[in-house]
Amino acid sequence: MMNKQRLSRILNACSLSLLKEITEQLEQTLCLQVERFPQTSLVMMKARDSVSDQPFYVGEVLVTECTVSFNQKFGIGLVVGEAPQRAYCMAAVDAAINAGFPILEQWRERLEAAEGAIIAERNAECARSAESQVHFDTMGAYNDRH
Amino acid sequence: MGYVAVTGGQQAIETANLLNQWYRLKDADHALEVTAIEKQMRHLVDRVISESGLYAPNDAALALKQAEGDPAEAAFLLRAYRSTLERNVESLTVDPGQMRVIRRISSAFKDIPGSQILGPTADYTHRLLNFTLRNEEAQAALKSVLQQLPKQDNPHTDHRQPFRKVADLLRAQGLLSPPNARNGLVDITRDKLTFPVPRSAKLQLLSRGDTGAMTALACSSMREHTAQHPTVAELRVGYVELTVAYPLASNETLSLGEVMVTEVETINSFTKKDNGDVQFQLGYGLTFGQNETKAIAMAILEQRLETDGTSPTHDEEFVLLHVDSIEANGFVSHLKLPHYITFQSKLDVLRQAQKLAAEKTDHQEV
Repeated sequence: MMNKQRLSRILNACSLSLLKEITEQLEQTLCLQVERFPQTSLVMMKARDSVSDQPFYVGEVLVTECTVSFNQKFGIGLVVGEAPQRAYCMAAVDAAINAGFPILEQWRERLEAAEGAIIAERNAECARSAESQVHFDTMGAYNDRH
Repeated sequence: MGYVAVTGGQQAIETANLLNQWYRLKDADHALEVTAIEKQMRHLVDRVISESGLYAPNDAALALKQAEGDPAEAAFLLRAYRSTLERNVESLTVDPGQMRVIRRISSAFKDIPGSQILGPTADYTHRLLNFTLRNEEAQAALKSVLQQLPKQDNPHTDHRQPFRKVADLLRAQGLLSPPNARNGLVDITRDKLTFPVPRSAKLQLLSRGDTGAMTALACSSMREHTAQHPTVAELRVGYVELTVAYPLASNETLSLGEVMVTEVETINSFTKKDNGDVQFQLGYGLTFGQNETKAIAMAILEQRLETDGTSPTHDEEFVLLHVDSIEANGFVSHLKLPHYITFQSKLDVLRQAQKLAAEKTDHQEV
């Protein structure tokens, strides 16, 4: 199921050209209204401290946020970093979905392909690091073997 | 002590600012590109985002350019920028146990489940100056590095699986003190710091503390408690996902992207329970970016602050009030600003004392 978590995970990392393509189609079909222009803001990041098992605030993350509406249905774009275009496109897509526009059905194949590419890229980075997997020997064990 | 403001000097200050720019550029063939700083000065950028408490690598690179490489000044610039921005949301609680790991080591165990991954590190590198970097061409150098890296055996293996924490394994065997729930969640950017501070405030303050100050304090602590030399149970570097509650529906969440962090768990000392059992105590460090020495120092210091002792690193006011880069640099460097009236008053006091001493001497001679 393409819930908002999964969709936003794709949209915050996919190619901007795909996002623009989707948004341009929306702009041609729907009367989108920008309620809040893209602007940078902060999100306070909370993390679990494993000693106390309690949360604490690590620090703030710079994000870009945008709000778009269509047919009185709002959509929100929120993304890490300074990315006004991406935030606007994400908000437009969200507004269209909230208004019942069948965007996920229309773009499912492309979105899933983008998701696959993101996973593959991240997997490749981790796999490259995993090549430096290390097995240290203590000198005692080393001397026993040689 | 009271301060008396000064006025004037506007033209000189404007000229001084321009001179700063002139010195930045006068011998430059080309202006530094912000993206180049962000991508090729990773550790410096990571230090600045960590010490400013603002995860904004590109802005940190810009701040470093503006500050001509001074990390304290760059962190100050970012902290000032941060104060101009709105904050509408806080994230859901990030679990670093779910980190997408690019580096993971343990100095406690050589064999850990999922194995150790050295990842990007210079830990085992000879400290020899690499003169070939002087004439490096980025694309050619990258191609050469890629050719030398091992070929990936099975690119279809999913390496993104989270690793189980070493500390959890120790905890499962009853070797670690159980999690110790402490008082309340405090945000030091909004709440006034009052001592004794809650654990959450301590961690937040240390997480954005100055690398140099924290390393020095952790070093002094290790030298003092040589019998309790901490061991790194696990150090991991990688990406965590930043997620927030979807503002328009309570049952949905949004992923905002990934944030790079360093997490450290140290085994610092034994603690004796009431029933006589002895267990390890953990120290915890978590910072933005790849800041390994700082994260280890954080783990050492937070654990020292949790235990009783007489050394300065057990004193939370001493530690927490001095590790903030912006606070400490501001306090020391403010001495460069005019203190004419305060110094005049010191002069007056000194002259008055000398005069009284002279009168006393004259009186005794008579």
